[in-house]
Order: sequence, then C-alpha cells, then structure tokens
Amino acid sequence: MSGGAGTPVSEQAGLPREGEHGALSAGKAVSFSPKALARFEKLLTRYPTKQAALLPTLWIAQEELGWISREAVDYVASLLGLSPAFVWGVTTFYTMYNRAPVGKHLIQFCTSISCHLAGAEEVFAECRKRLGDLKPGETTADGRFTVIEVECLAQCDKAPAVMVNDDDCAIITKENLEQFLGGLK
Amino acid sequence: MVKVTVDGTAVEVPDNANALEACRAAGVDVPHFCYHPRFSIVGQCRMCMVEIDGAPKVQASCTVPVRGGMVIRASSEKALAARNATMEFLLINHPLDCPICDQAGECQLQDNAVAGGLPVSRTSEPRRQFPGYDRTDIGPHVIADMTRCIQCTRCIRFCNEIAGTGELTFIERGGHTMVWTHEGHQLDNEWSACAADVCPVGALTTKEFRFRKRVWWLKKTASVCPGCEIGCNISIEHREQVVHRFLPRVNLGVNDFWMCDHGRFLAESLNGRDFLKPVVPDDFLKASEPDGRGRRETNWGEALGLVHEKLTAAKPAAVLAIGSANLSTEENWLLAELFGKTVGTPNVEFDADQGPLRRIRNPKAIGADGGFLKGTVAAPNARGAEAAGVRKASGESALGRLLTGSLVPDVLYVADAAFSARTADPAFVAKLRKAKFLVVHARTRSALTDVADVVLPVSGLTGKDGSFLNVQGRVQRFDVAFVPPPIVKTDLEVLLHLGQRFGVFETRWTTADVFGKLAATVPAYGGLAWDAPAVVGLPPSVSPAASYDVLRPPRTSVDDTDKLPAAAGKA
Repeated sequence: MSGGAGTPVSEQAGLPREGEHGALSAGKAVSFSPKALARFEKLLTRYPTKQAALLPTLWIAQEELGWISREAVDYVASLLGLSPAFVWGVTTFYTMYNRAPVGKHLIQFCTSISCHLAGAEEVFAECRKRLGDLKPGETTADGRFTVIEVECLAQCDKAPAVMVNDDDCAIITKENLEQFLGGLK
Repeated sequence: MVKVTVDGTAVEVPDNANALEACRAAGVDVPHFCYHPRFSIVGQCRMCMVEIDGAPKVQASCTVPVRGGMVIRASSEKALAARNATMEFLLINHPLDCPICDQAGECQLQDNAVAGGLPVSRTSEPRRQFPGYDRTDIGPHVIADMTRCIQCTRCIRFCNEIAGTGELTFIERGGHTMVWTHEGHQLDNEWSACAADVCPVGALTTKEFRFRKRVWWLKKTASVCPGCEIGCNISIEHREQVVHRFLPRVNLGVNDFWMCDHGRFLAESLNGRDFLKPVVPDDFLKASEPDGRGRRETNWGEALGLVHEKLTAAKPAAVLAIGSANLSTEENWLLAELFGKTVGTPNVEFDADQGPLRRIRNPKAIGADGGFLKGTVAAPNARGAEAAGVRKASGESALGRLLTGSLVPDVLYVADAAFSARTADPAFVAKLRKAKFLVVHARTRSALTDVADVVLPVSGLTGKDGSFLNVQGRVQRFDVAFVPPPIVKTDLEVLLHLGQRFGVFETRWTTADVFGKLAATVPAYGGLAWDAPAVVGLPPSVSPAASYDVLRPPRTSVDDTDKLPAAAGKA
C-alpha cells in the first residue's frame, strides 16, 4: 500500500504524520474507580511481575476511561512501577488500545483479503457515507459511532466481517447495513 | 574460561562470553550495531551473523553463549553473505545522505557499509520518513532524527540499564517503529548525552556539538574531566586551538564508558582567552585611570621580577598563597614547595566548592556506592592539592582570616583565578583585594582579574599536562591538547620561572620531572611513574559508539584471514 516513487511523502499511505504519535491529553488527571482498582489488585496476583500485568491493566484502563490518554499512561505506569515511556511504547504496539476517544459504538471493518474479496471496502465506504461522510477513525458528531479499518478478525467464513466494540457481527453487506446500524441505535 | 576457535584461531574467553565477544577476543572484526558490553543482549540488529559449527543456520553471534570447543566461522562465505544481506536490509530505509549527516566519520553504519556492504543499492523505492519526527529535541541535550535510526535500541537500553530512568521507548511497530519519549517527558537525565554517544548512527546527536565540526578534523587528547572530583577520563576533541567537545574515554575503574552531561558540556568553557601577556601595575596609568588601578601589559621578566621583589620584601607570615583544586597536583606541589619552604609562609591553602552530587554508573569501581561513583567537590583535584601539601582553607586558616578581615596579607598569590565560583562574586573579590599586593594566574577575565595587581596569563587545561588525584585516590594524567599562544605559559612554567628567581626550581623541568619529585615525597604518588599505564589510562577511542574498541586486541590481518578455512578444524 506504500506510495510509489514520486508520491509526496506526506501522502504515502500508512506513514506517521505530525502529532500522530504523541499521547493525547485527557485534559484532567485520571484514576481507576475502587472497583477497577480491586480488579487490578486481583490481576497482580496472577502474574509473576508487575510488568507482566501491563496488558490487562491497560485493558482495565481502556474499559474504565474509554481510551488510553497521556494521563492514563502516567497513571498505569505509576501503578505498575514502570516508566511512562515503556507503557506508551506497549500501548502503541497494539492496535486495539484506543489512542483517542471513540464513540459509543466502535465499528471495526475488516478489509483483509477475504473481506476485501467480499466487498468490504464498499461497505466500509457506504457506512462512512451514511454516518455523515466520516473519514476512517472519525467519530460522529453525536459521539455514537466511530468507524475504523482493521486487519483480519479471523471471521473469513463470515466475510465481510465487522466487530462492534468487543462483539463480532458477521456478513455486513450494503444491503443489511441499514439494519445493522439501526440495531446499534 | 572456555576455549573456542574463531576462524582457525584458538582463543580463551570467560564462561559467560558470547560468540561475538569471542570473535573480538580473537581479533576478528564482526560488524555489529546493537551489541554493547554494558547493555543486555537483544540480538536486535542481526548484523553480527557468523557460522557456528553444529548450528544449521547462521547465528547472530551476540546471542550465542560460548561453550567449550565451539568453532566459529566469522569470515566464511555464508557468514559474509548473511551480513551483507542484513546490511542491505538496514540500508533500505536509511537515508544515503552521509555528506549532510553529522555522524559521518564516526558512524558504525557508514563504516560497516564501506567495509563490507554492497557497492550499489538495489532499491529504488522511496525511503521511510517520519515527517514531524525528524530533527526534533527529545531532551535538553539530544536531538533525534528518526529517519536515520536503525532500531538497535542501544539508547533505550542505556536509559533503562545504565541511567535507570527509562525515558526512551519504541513507539509504533514494524516499519513505523521509532525511538521516542512519552508525551510530556523528555530524555533528561544526568547522562543523557551518553545516549547519543552509544547511537551507532546519526539518529541521536548532541545539540551542543551537532554540525560544529566534522569529526575527522578533530584531534583527540587524553584528559581528565575538570567537572568534579570523580575525574572521569575524557577525550578533549579540538581543532585549531578550539575545543569542540568532550567525549568519555574508557576507564573501567572510574567512569567505565560514560560521563555526565555537566562535565561533558564544560568543553565550551575551555575556549576563550583574555590574557596574552602578563599585566602589571603602572604608576603613570594609575594616576590617570579613574579607579586608580591602571595596568599595562608587559613581558614575563618584568612581571615575575615584580612578584619576586614583593615576595622577598614581605614578611613570610604576611604572604598567602592560594592553590586550587583545579590545578594539577604537580602545580600545587610546586606552590607548596615554593611558598611553604622557600618563602617560608605557613599560609599555603586552597578552597574548593562543594558542588551538586555528581554520579557515574560503574558498579565495579572501587568506592562505587549503590552502583554509582559519587563526587561532591566541584573541582577535579581537591585530594591532589591536599596531598601536595596545600591545606584546605577553613574559618581559622589564613584565607578564612582574610575573609573576616583579621589578616591583611602583604602579598596574596592566587594560582588559579577561578579556584572557586565565589571569585565571580564582587563581595568575595573585594575581601581578597584587601591584600596589599594581589597576583593571579588567569586565562579569562573575571571580577578577580579586574582588580588584581599582576595577572599572569596561563594556558588552562588544554595547554598543559599534569595529573589529578581523584575521589578514589587514583592518580590520573592529562595531556597537552594544544600549545597555547607564544607568551602564555602553563601554571607549572610560571611557578618554575618564579622558583628559579628564588634559586630553588629550574625552568627546564618538565611536568614529568616534577611528577618524579612528587612521587618521591607525596605518599599518594609513591612508587608511581609518569608513564605508568595506570596513570596514563587508555587512549581516546576513534568513535564514541564503539568506545569499547580500545579494549580489544588488534585485528586479524587480511593475510591471516586468507588461510582461515584450512586452519579451522572440527572441535
């Protein structure tokens, strides 16, 4: 997908752009609720080191706070005794940690080979059009929907596959897209 | 110790060595980027590929622990092919713009590409770039340019394992991987510039040295850091009488491979010279100058003659000589001999500033506390001055009495105008000025030189040699970086010339001669020779990223490698 020779660098697909890599600020200090903290404490008992508990702790942070903000990274780092840089490095390695606020329904379109052959790109484009000409990664003004493109969801038998938050939704086509989105409202 | 064979050469290495270290011990050059003797092994760069008998594929030699009888073929066709392939991969995305890169000349990637890479590039695709992340400050001293990064993680491991601060990390992954900090945090620790040192390419460079001088123009002089009493071994890197940077010089017993930012960026302070000739008072000018301190430049004969005359006329008890923890032990010793024994004053003292705590990571060093060697005195030779017979000033000592006003010396001889940071304080200087006759050695102008009667122009650290006694009690030599301008003398020469007027020193004495006399009388120097390896230390390394190369034996010559396949037998 990389641009050929002559493509301006800034337009090459997949390249980082200015401001894309720094952790966004939530604008306020964040912390876990007592319930989440209890989950975190229980989690620690299952791992040999605190560092080993980083991924599940980030999951708790994402569930608690919706996304991984700069403050969330600092908070998780302090909980686990790790450097904030290390936590941020891990966060950026994994695509399923949200690095910006997302809508109530995070609609993840698979566009890998099977879904691509089944027309996923068109469904993805159509979905974005219906939600008000969203670009990939954008959220609707009402904060209900975010649409992104993801790699294989391991549902090739049900292509084109979509995942909404943590749930799989099989065979989303242009025809049933309206019904699919309606079901999320 | 285990015995291994590298390209037909049998070599004995420690049990915990790896195959790369065995190759290096055998004098065989295996190119590498991510390996560093003080960092954990990550096998990140894949450059150090070698063939090992019994292993089905080529191995990254740094990741393979040695075992007895291991046969390593570092120069076989297969190994060279693998290394060339790795090199080609690394160069797919590395910009080929060495002429505008500041690392050129001491770049491991450049060296290895020249030594063993393909002569042509087979790629025509645009190279990966990081718009918005090139040439960016990531800390107070370090600039990052991610297009040049080869992801060796040395800087990350330096921050994690040596500094212990962990500011750096990889962010993103795959082809987008880059070294960065977490938003809101900087690469800001006591040794941050060492992260740029260990960088094998031009991805991390220091702001202070970047684009100041092409490294191949720099001359390297073995010296000792003037920043604190730890006495990190350094290389003064200079050209045409201008100091451009300090680099750490390897000393496993002191600073290991590191130096702190405070010391490193003192380099600039060695530049600048305000006095080219001795300055003496002038009666005619005194009458016309509004502050009554008219002075003129003169020659050494007149200046030293005047100092000699004032010293002979003064009552010995009313002479105060101030040595310095910035001066070498030799100079302090001459001062103590001349003033203590010949002039006969009991008042030969020095004062050194208590500085902020400086630390250098070296868990194996004698005196290391919590893995760090620590220094609290903000000058390199407080111990040497004391050992040489110059007493530490106190409230009751002559300097203390001068400051309280209870002693007014006839002659105050300050052998280092910058012996304390307080010499920049007008109130402090005014107290010193109470002396009837004030002589200072100085390189640059200061509040103290402005009021001195006689200013004797001296070279500073770059123009002289000598030795410091560090916090561990280790005698460390520093060498002459460049000869000062013609009339300027070293502190040692000034004292020798003055001593000659008293008939006790000879001007032909070299620093080595004085060192010899010192070693005969000062216990801390007992039995040491000017040329002893422990005193001289290691030579400066060619490249900061491979500073550890000074520790390895000479390389195998090309003639030897030609015979290799026949010589290497099965273990």
